[in-house]
Amino acid sequence: MLFSRRLALGLAMIGTMAGALAFPAMAEGPTEIDLFFPVPVDGKLARDMGTLIKEFNETHRDIKATAVYTGSYDDTLIKTRAAIKAGKPPSAVIMSANFLLDMQIENELTNLDALIKADGTTKEQFLGQFFPALHGNAVINRSVYGVPFHNSTPLLYINADKAKEAGLDPNKPPQTWAELTDWAKKLTRRDGDKVTQWGIAIPCAYDYCGWMMETLTMSNGGRYYNEEFGGEVYYDTPSMLGALSWWNDLVAKHKVHPPGATPGPAVSTSFISGNAAMMMLSTGSLTYVRDNAKFNYKVAFIPRNVRNAVPIGGASLIVPAGLEADKQKAAWTLIKWMTSPEKSGWWSRATGYFAPNMAAYKTPDMVDFLNKNPDAKTAVEQLDVAKPWFATYKTVPVRKNLEDEVMLVLNGKKQPKEALAAAQKAADETLKPYNAETSLKLP
Amino acid sequence: MKLIDWLTRDAPLATRNEITPKLGFLLTVLLAIVWLIPFLWMVVATLRPPSDGINTMAELMPSLKPTLDNVRDAWEIGDFPRYTLNTTIICAGILLVQFVTITLAGFAFARLKFAGKTLIFYLFLMQLMLVPVLLIVPNLSLVAQLGLYDTLTGVMMPFFASAFGTFLMRQAFEAIPTELEDAALIDGASLIQRIRHIYVPLSMPSFSAFAIISVTSHWNDFLWPLMVINSPDKRPLTVGLSVFTKTAEGTQAWGTIAAGTLMVIAPLLVTFLVFQKRFISSFVTSGIK
Repeated sequence: MLFSRRLALGLAMIGTMAGALAFPAMAEGPTEIDLFFPVPVDGKLARDMGTLIKEFNETHRDIKATAVYTGSYDDTLIKTRAAIKAGKPPSAVIMSANFLLDMQIENELTNLDALIKADGTTKEQFLGQFFPALHGNAVINRSVYGVPFHNSTPLLYINADKAKEAGLDPNKPPQTWAELTDWAKKLTRRDGDKVTQWGIAIPCAYDYCGWMMETLTMSNGGRYYNEEFGGEVYYDTPSMLGALSWWNDLVAKHKVHPPGATPGPAVSTSFISGNAAMMMLSTGSLTYVRDNAKFNYKVAFIPRNVRNAVPIGGASLIVPAGLEADKQKAAWTLIKWMTSPEKSGWWSRATGYFAPNMAAYKTPDMVDFLNKNPDAKTAVEQLDVAKPWFATYKTVPVRKNLEDEVMLVLNGKKQPKEALAAAQKAADETLKPYNAETSLKLP
Repeated sequence: MKLIDWLTRDAPLATRNEITPKLGFLLTVLLAIVWLIPFLWMVVATLRPPSDGINTMAELMPSLKPTLDNVRDAWEIGDFPRYTLNTTIICAGILLVQFVTITLAGFAFARLKFAGKTLIFYLFLMQLMLVPVLLIVPNLSLVAQLGLYDTLTGVMMPFFASAFGTFLMRQAFEAIPTELEDAALIDGASLIQRIRHIYVPLSMPSFSAFAIISVTSHWNDFLWPLMVINSPDKRPLTVGLSVFTKTAEGTQAWGTIAAGTLMVIAPLLVTFLVFQKRFISSFVTSGIK
C-alpha cells in the first residue's frame, strides 16, 4: 500500500493519540482473561454463556474473564489465528474439536501436560474423567492439547406420528441403510411429480457436509482419514464411493431426499414443519427439536451399511501458545471449572450437546433430566461406537476440497466417482507441503 | 394504462407518447416488487408470534395476532443502542478522515505535477484488486503493534485511505475547468484555499456518492470488526446481530433474527428515505461532466 508522506504523518499522529487512549495505566487487580466462543446454538445461549462467565467471575475473585463471541467455528479459527499472529492471543478458546491437530502442527497450542502435572494429577487421571471416544481429538503425540467441552454425535431423528401413519413402528427405527431407504420411500408423499413430504433430509453445507460424509463413510466401514498422521485422507476409496453413491441415490434415483445441498438450519426447519419425515442431524439440535416439535419424535442411532460407527463433533477448550504464565494459569482454572461435572451438565441440558465429563451423568440434576427426557441418552449410548473427528494439516481447506465436490454431486452436476477423484486430487495438493516436510522427507 | 400514465407523469414531454420508456418503467416496478418481497417477509416474520409455529414461517401473509415479542427478545439479547452507536462512530470516523485524505490525494493526482505520477496512480488503483481478507493478518499485526487491538480506532484505521475514493475525486477534480483555479490564483488564493473554495464545493455530488458507498460498506462489514474487537461493549451491529444468526449444528429462531435484522438496517433505511432525492441526484450528476 502506498501512502503520501503527509498521510503517513497524519496516520502516525492519530495512531499515537489513540494508542495513548487505548492503554490505560496497568493497575494491580484480578488477572484479566478472554475466552473466545462460537455460538453453536441460537442467541439465547449466547446469553447463557454470559451467565456462566458471570458466575465464574463471582466465585473467582482473582480472575476476571470476558466471554468474546467469535462467529462460526471457522470464523473462530480465523480470529484466533489472526490474534495469535498479531501477538494478542486469547487466554482460552472453545475450538472445533478437529482443528486441534492443525493448530498443534502450526505451534499455536499450549501443551497442557505441565498444567495437569502442577495440579498433582496424571494425564491418565485427567483424561479418565472424559468419555474414551473423546480422547482422540484431545491428545496429540501422547500430550494433552484440548479439554472436551461440548460434544456431539450425529443422530437419526424420526417423526413418530408420520411413521405410524405410514404403517411403520417408530419404536423399531431403521438399523441398516436398506431399512432406512425403505422407510424413506414409505415416508415420501407425492402429488403428481411434486413431492409434498420428503422421506429424509441430510444437511450439506460447509462444515456440516464434511461431517455427514464422514458419518456415512464410517458406517460404510471406511476410515476417511489417517487418525495417526495428518497428511493423508481417503476420499477416493470404495467405502466413501459407496457412501456418496447411496446419498446420491436417495436424491436422484429414489427421489426421497430433497435435491441440492441443504444447510443444517433448513433441514431442522423442514423436519419441525413436517416437510421432512426423518433427518440426520447433530445431537446439538436436540433441545431445539424438543422445544419446537408439535408431534412425537424419536431419535435413533445412525443406521449402518457395514458397521455402526459415528464421528465425534462439537468443541474442546484450548489454551493458545504464547501466553504469560499468570494468564495461562487463570485460563486453566476457568477451563477446569467449565468442564466440571456440574457446569458441563448444565450446559448439556441447555444445548442438547452431551456432557463430555462422565461424572456429569451422576449429578442429581442430570439424573432427573434424563428421566424426563430419555431421548438425551441416545447420543451418549452411541459413544460406544464413536471415533475421532477427522483432523489433518490444514483441516478446513482439506474438508472444503471434499465438500465442494459433494455439493456438485447433490446438485446433479457430477457423478460420485469423478467427484471423489477430483476431491482426492485437490486434497493431496493441499496436503503436499506437510507431506514434503514429514513423510516424504527422507534422511 | 392509467397506472403507467401515472407512473410516467414525470417523464420528459418528448418521450411521453413513446412505448419504450413505459416498458422501462414497468420493468422497474417489477424489479422493485422482487426486491421488496424479502423485506416484506422480514417485517411479517418480525411481527409473527412464535405460537403460529414454524409451518407458517415462510408465509408472506401477516399473522392475525401480530406481536412485538420477537422485537423484545432481540432487544434483550443484544445491546442494540450500544451496537448502533459503535457502528455510527466507526462509519462516521472512517468517512471524516477519508474526506480529508481522498480530497488531498485526488487533488494531487488531478492537478499536481510530480515524477512518476501515472505509475503511482496505477499502483494506487491496484489496491482495489486485493481481496480484503488477504490483508487481515498483516493489518491486525499493525493494529496490535500500534496498541489499537480491541479499539474502535483499530477497526477504522485500515480504511482511512481509500483507493476508490481517490480515483473518484481525481475524476471529479479533472472535470473542473482550470480557468476557475487560475482566476483564484490571480486573486492570490493559496493551494488550500483553492481546494477549499473551488474544488470541494463543485464536487459535492461526488462526495455524497462516495459517502453512501463508504458508509454502507462499513456498516455491513463483519469479518474485520470481528477480528479487532473483543469487548462486548465495542461490538458493531453486524457482530452483535450474528450472535443469533450464526449457528453451526443448531437451528434458527427466524422471528428473532428478522427482528434483529430490521433493527440493524433501520437507521440506514430511515436515512435513505429522508435523503432519497439527494442520494439519487448525487449518483445522477456525478456521472455527468
